[in-house]
Amino acid sequence: MEKRKELENKGMSRRRFLSVMAGAGVVGAAATMTGCSPVSDPSGTGWLPNQYRNASAIPSQVKGRVPLDPDNVSLVRNDEKCILCGQCIEACEKVQSVFGYYELPVHDDFICVHCGQCSLWCPTGAIKERSVVEEVWNAIQDPETKVIVQTSPATRVGIGEEFDMGAGAWAEGQMVTALRKLGFDVVVDTNFSADLTIMEEGSELVERVTKGGVLPQMTSCCPGWVKFVEYYYPELIPNLSSARSPMMMHGSTLKTYNADKLGIPYKKIVNVAIMPCLAKKFEISRHQFHGLEGGAGQYHEDPDVKDMDYVLSVRELADMIRKYLPGEDFANFEEGQYDQIGSTAGLIFGNSGGVMEAAVRSAYYLITGSNPPELLYNLEPVRGLEGIKRASVNIPGVGDVKVVVASGLANARQMCEEIKSGKADFHFLEVMACPGGCIAGGGQPRTAVPPQDWVRQARTDTMYNHDKIGNVNGTSVGGGNAGQNAVKTGNLRLSHANPQITDIYDNFLEKPLSHLAHELCHTTYEDRSGSLTRKEV
Amino acid sequence: MANKVTDQKSVLVDLTKCVGCGSCTVACKLWNNQSFQNPQSEEFENAHGEDVKLDSNTWTTVQHMRVQKDGQEVWRFVKRQCMHCLEPACSSVCFAHAFHQTEQGAVQYDPELCVGCRYCMIACPFDIPKYEWEKVMPSVMKCQFCSSKLADGEAPACASVCPTNALMFGNRDEMLAKAHEIIDNDSRYLNHVYGEKEVGGTSWLYISDVDFGELGFPTDLPEKSIPKNIHGFTRFTLPIFAVGALTWTGVSLYAKRRHAVAHEGHAAEHKSEE
Ligand code: SF4
Ligand code: SF4
Ligand code: SF4
Ligand code: SF4
Ligand code: SF4
Ligand code: SF4
Repeated sequence: MEKRKELENKGMSRRRFLSVMAGAGVVGAAATMTGCSPVSDPSGTGWLPNQYRNASAIPSQVKGRVPLDPDNVSLVRNDEKCILCGQCIEACEKVQSVFGYYELPVHDDFICVHCGQCSLWCPTGAIKERSVVEEVWNAIQDPETKVIVQTSPATRVGIGEEFDMGAGAWAEGQMVTALRKLGFDVVVDTNFSADLTIMEEGSELVERVTKGGVLPQMTSCCPGWVKFVEYYYPELIPNLSSARSPMMMHGSTLKTYNADKLGIPYKKIVNVAIMPCLAKKFEISRHQFHGLEGGAGQYHEDPDVKDMDYVLSVRELADMIRKYLPGEDFANFEEGQYDQIGSTAGLIFGNSGGVMEAAVRSAYYLITGSNPPELLYNLEPVRGLEGIKRASVNIPGVGDVKVVVASGLANARQMCEEIKSGKADFHFLEVMACPGGCIAGGGQPRTAVPPQDWVRQARTDTMYNHDKIGNVNGTSVGGGNAGQNAVKTGNLRLSHANPQITDIYDNFLEKPLSHLAHELCHTTYEDRSGSLTRKEV
Repeated sequence: MANKVTDQKSVLVDLTKCVGCGSCTVACKLWNNQSFQNPQSEEFENAHGEDVKLDSNTWTTVQHMRVQKDGQEVWRFVKRQCMHCLEPACSSVCFAHAFHQTEQGAVQYDPELCVGCRYCMIACPFDIPKYEWEKVMPSVMKCQFCSSKLADGEAPACASVCPTNALMFGNRDEMLAKAHEIIDNDSRYLNHVYGEKEVGGTSWLYISDVDFGELGFPTDLPEKSIPKNIHGFTRFTLPIFAVGALTWTGVSLYAKRRHAVAHEGHAAEHKSEE
């Protein structure tokens, strides 16, 4: 009021102003301008986290948030929920070594490998997956399509957490039942294509080791890691296995071999994957998997076909179950069976070190012709949550094969530097972008925020416990009596011993690394280093 | 009341360091209790992206620009807000004295004093003040340079959160010196500190490696302050406004009516769903 008085003395006030207006015949002015002015403190009365209340930046404190492309294929951020806590940038920079590892100014990209770790760290849920629940639901409703769904190894130890079954609860059978209730036409298991990956990638390793190829060979099943190499270490692209990820091998073989087996025209197939991962959403968008460049497109000479159509994270599947199966008791669903089987070597792909262990089991067989000794069924040195794990395995005829397992891209970066500097003495490097592997992937339930090791450990343990008993649960795609015959497999802990792997090679792919296998199960990479200027580390 | 500017502060924006994270736009909203709702469309919108505009709820934006540099497309992100002119045109045309400069040089706007004439909107060379079309008692809105934070010796909200130090805060002479130092030591920068001389100087200063005109900055501004150019003009304010108000009021009444109608329709739909 003080200010008003002053102004009145100056000869102008809101009242006088209005009377001038009225004098000018502006009747309507009263409609917009009378009433009480919303008096607010014009200099800001809101809230900011404490680290920002300083005269200038304190470099040691967490600041700001990670830049995210509004068109990021994997993630969306709702600014309204963001409290600038800085957790996302912390995860991206410190855990993944992505943000902060390029010089400014930027070129023409928001540098992101889509690992989704930021979405696990974000305390308010401002960052979340780009949901395709609607699209998948519409595909299921469409009578013209057959929707085939595959579930990644780590999904079965994650989904239960969304339904109060406890950290790391085994919910494989319930998940299969839920997928059938939702109306997916065929339910297959990525454990199978993980076995296929072992055959291809293992054969590639054997070839590199015995014939003097580029070593160390690096795994290629994690799309976050692959994009990281493409951005920051393009000189190591020759080290990447050319094998596609299990999901992508599955996509191409489902629309070729299995389409025929199931008697479904490939054009009618919609391939969906349930993944613990957000980078998988990016992976299916890679042009290498579309049309004539893609496996199925090349095979059918059809420019319109994509190897994979949709990826749903575990969180989205849970959303879908809650939305479309309302009131149903997931935890007590009867345990369904897959239309396919994968070995538990494929299962442990979900753990950091699992690909390595599965590969070693089968590489032993590929090299020696006999199954590995007991010791290789429990390759303890590559198990667990440690960021970098080293081991050496003696394989008769080849000698000591040295292997390294890294998870979390900051750890992977260290290994890349080691390789670049010529100091690496190992033959095989497994990398998973997410710390602990896919069991703690960016698409898993937010059971502890930020992610905690006790959750990771629980999920990992469940996986190994089921590997220990060789727990396999499925029938065969289109085989036997219309796919309803359970394949009795008992203790199936070896990828190469999976009868359906034998089947696909005998009747379709011929042998690992064959011409057709290259078309459907391998891929190429691209140098993305032009999108940024690397910071020297 | 006009204070004497005794402690002129400045933010130096290094446009080559901005990564488009939008943290600054969120900080502004948090500190100023602003909604993310576009007051016109009522949609929730982020204040950073390709197609962003200042509005009465959004005092700063970060615009994603795609520009040509050395024959290649590059991305730059441009933060926009009130420049806090050393001799603000907005203030000099405001007969209600709703603008005043704080000791730190923040051109502060006081909605309590504003009569809603929108003359500042016309006078501002940077097209900054925005009108609350949606309100019954509309005010003009703009960035306040977080004047209370500045008075407390803190950096403005936006500058304090920037993860890359694209926004540097300090005394204006220091920031100017810093700007020249950066430019002198790196040939990629243009030798131009935007805001050093434009319209008599501004509190916010920008340096860039891409032509300011291409990034949407007005490049035809006089070095002389606008108040000096248009001095004496404001005595025509009232008659000019009286004519203008007629039109504006009509427009805003119409807009409000449309909103009301739309809302009624909406409400009816909701009812029928239930
Ligand atoms: S998804 Fe991964 S790489 Fe991308 S912003 Fe988040 S943490 Fe960084
Ligand atoms: S983690 Fe979430 S809330 Fe925190 S700064 Fe990042 S987006 Fe904002
Ligand atoms: S580790 Fe697994 S979940 Fe994480 S990005 Fe890689 S594939 Fe996805
Ligand atoms: S930029 Fe415009 S609104 Fe801001 S101080 Fe200058 S004239 Fe006033
Ligand atoms: S100075 Fe304060 S009011 Fe102005 S844009 Fe920054 S945060 Fe917003
Ligand atoms: S906080 Fe800094 S880097 Fe982020 S958009 Fe604002 S100015 Fe750019």
